[in-house]
Formats: sequence, structure tokens, C-alpha cells
Amino acid sequence: MNRNFTQTIAIRSDDPAPIIQLLEQWDLDQASADIMGYMGVRFLADRENPGQYLIIADFGVVDPEVSATDEANRSNERPETQATAARLREMVRGEPEYRHYDELYRTDF
Amino acid sequence: MAPEIGLTEVQADLLEAIASALTGVSVDYRGLASLGPDELADVLVGRDLAYRQRIVHHMVLGELVLRPIPTVVAYRVAKYSEALGVKDDFVRVARRYAQGAYGLAWKDLQRNGFAEHVHDAGDGETEGRSAPSRGAPAPFASAEVDSELAARWIAFEDLPEGSLGHSVWEMYDGRGFELPGTPGGAPAYLAQHDFVHVIADYGTNLKGELEVFAFIGRADPDPKGFAWLATLTGLFETGYIATTGFFDRDVRERVIQAPGMDQRIADAIRRGKSVCQNYGIDLFEVDYHELAGRPVPEVREMLGIPPKGPGSVEAGSVGLFDLAGMSEGQRRVVAQRRGDPT
Repeated sequence: MNRNFTQTIAIRSDDPAPIIQLLEQWDLDQASADIMGYMGVRFLADRENPGQYLIIADFGVVDPEVSATDEANRSNERPETQATAARLREMVRGEPEYRHYDELYRTDF
Repeated sequence: MAPEIGLTEVQADLLEAIASALTGVSVDYRGLASLGPDELADVLVGRDLAYRQRIVHHMVLGELVLRPIPTVVAYRVAKYSEALGVKDDFVRVARRYAQGAYGLAWKDLQRNGFAEHVHDAGDGETEGRSAPSRGAPAPFASAEVDSELAARWIAFEDLPEGSLGHSVWEMYDGRGFELPGTPGGAPAYLAQHDFVHVIADYGTNLKGELEVFAFIGRADPDPKGFAWLATLTGLFETGYIATTGFFDRDVRERVIQAPGMDQRIADAIRRGKSVCQNYGIDLFEVDYHELAGRPVPEVREMLGIPPKGPGSVEAGSVGLFDLAGMSEGQRRVVAQRRGDPT
């Protein structure tokens, strides 16, 4: 069974628009790049805490010999990932808070 | 592209039918001995890149009819593609489907599949075509009202019966489709494929659309034309694609698995290949307005479209004006216009 991996990034921001733009551009760049584990991202606004947001990035298996977690680690080491993370840090208040999860269940397609 | 359990029925039937239609040789895909990537590369060493790319597309089509696509299958096809020296966008799209990255796959398809193809074609060679925006299939977005374009389509009614223009007008009018340029009408670019419905004589229900786009895709000298079949398979067979702006996902009836569709798609690809060899121009780039006054058989001859194969007709490929080639809604409109009891 292929187990997906998820990274969440909790952030605070006064303006989510440039972050959305950053994520859209990231997706466009990933869509035309060689395939890696990155599957997609969601960007959520906390209704109870205005200015608090959560980015959820999913990673999956593309090579049967490489786990989704390893794919995420490889992705993290790429210069473009580091550059995007650096740009994100410039857009938020305080330090982003990262958490990592193994997916145990997902509604089937 | 076989899953662990072996080739599925739909894979074997479809690929066999296509191979047979294109080569005239009947191949039993269920009994084929496996051939590794390097062995296949050795066999195809004398073939050019375009040929090898179409072989890869054959494998990818075999993947795209699977739901889900096992990761190991998508990975294996990528290895074959690599061994053949083919770097193909659709191999990547299939891998994204296998991964479950449907949103990214759609963006990939848009950027590197038909959207880019449309951009290439969008240089004003066909009047009334809307200018596409970067990274989105704008030619298929809701069309703007264009009185000049509408007038040209309305004028098709006055052309002689049996002409291309009158026939396409009849198709629109009979089914209650709004004409391009009028409110609710198809974008001019998308309407190009409606001329192909007439010329190739395919219906307008989902099965007919699949035939039309399999035909158009293979008629395109650029192998990227495969995007059309890949997209419609995602819409009407597996549901990997939700919407293209001009068609929405509809998998209530798995169209490719429907009886006879393997033969019909294979024959559409065969006919498309013939057009590719005889005419060599993307059918979306043809100025059909210029040809509108000509009799349909004359246009068919110009493009080098062969008749449908008997196997395809026996399998249910009907003509454009046959009620069996229309959706339920289209048949209802036709019946109303004819004054038939419903």
C-alpha cells in the first residue's frame, strides 16, 4: 500500500493574496517539472482566528521503491523549494510552524 | 501496462482493436510475451521519434482506461518511454493520475497538452477565434457574443443542402444548439470540431464525441494531438478530469467499455491517421468557413478521409443525423422540432 505523506504549515498573515499567488505559481511550476512526490496543496483560513492560516501539502508515491516521506524530503532539498519557502517566510508574521503526518485514511476517488 | 492481475478486458480489447485497425494485423494482446524496455527499444531502433512517441501513447492509453492506475504500472510505462528515448507529457500525466494528484495532472495537461496546442493554433488563421490566455483553455471558456460571427453561421442556412455549411447549420438547428457568436453559443474554436462531426459523420452523444476527438487527435501531425483522446477518456471513462469548460465529467456510463467502442475508437484513429498522411494539417486549423459552400463529399476528398470501416459501423458507429448518435436531450429536441409525440 502506498502511504501518502502530508506537511502542514501554520502561518499568520495580514494578507493571504500574495500567498495564494505564490502557491498558484508553485503549482504551475510543479505541473511542468519532472514528476516528484508533490501532489498538491490546500490553503485554509481559520474562521475562529482571523489572520491564522494553514497550508496543507500532500506527497505521494511515484516510484514504487521510494516512500512518500522520502519524496517529500527530496523535494525539500531542491533549491526551488527552498526559495519558495524563503519567499513564504517573507510574507508571514512570525515563524511558520511545520508539522508532518502519515496519511492513514482518505476518501476514495 | 498490465496491472498485477494481467491486462484488463478493456485494455486488451481497445489496444488490440487499435493495433489491428492501424496495421491490418490481428494481435492477441492477452497472449503476448512480455518484452522489457530495452528489448522494445532494440526492436524499434530503426523507427523515428514520432513513431516511438505514438507507441508510447499506445501504452499510455492502455493506462488511462484504468481506474485506479497502479503506481507500478505508471512507473513501468515511464521506464519504457525512457528506454525509447521519448520524453512525453502524457506519461507524466498518467503518473500523476496514479499518484492521485488529479489537480496537478489537469494543470499539466492544460500547460503541455491541448492548451499549448491551442496556443500554437491561435494565430488568427481561423476568423473569429478568441485569443487564448496563458495557461488556461480560454478558447473553450464561455464565448462572447459576436454578431459578425453569428451572421456568418446564420448564413450557412442559405447554402445548398449537402454543403458543409448547411450541414453543420442543420446539425446545430436540429439539436437546438445555439450558434457560435450568439448568447450561449460555442466558442469559435470549439465550433471547429463541429465541422468535423459533419465531415467524418460522427454523432454528438458521448460516444460520437469520443470518436470525433480520437479522429481529430490522430489526424494531427503533431503527436500532441493525443491530448484530445487522453482528455475525453478522463472525462467520459475514468473521471480523472472534472471539466474542460466545454465538456463536464460524465461517467454514468463508461463509454470506452461500452460494447463496440473499442472498434469505433480504433476505426476513428485509423481514419485520422489517413488524414494525417494525406492532408497533414491539424483539423482545428482548417478554415471551414472558406469551405462551407462545398459539398461534404468534396471536402472529405480534399482532406483524404476514408469511409468508416465496416467493423465500426457494425459496432454501432452511426451518422451525424441518426437519432442513435444523439444524446437523450438532443433526441428530445429533434422530436419536438419534427412534431413527433414524445
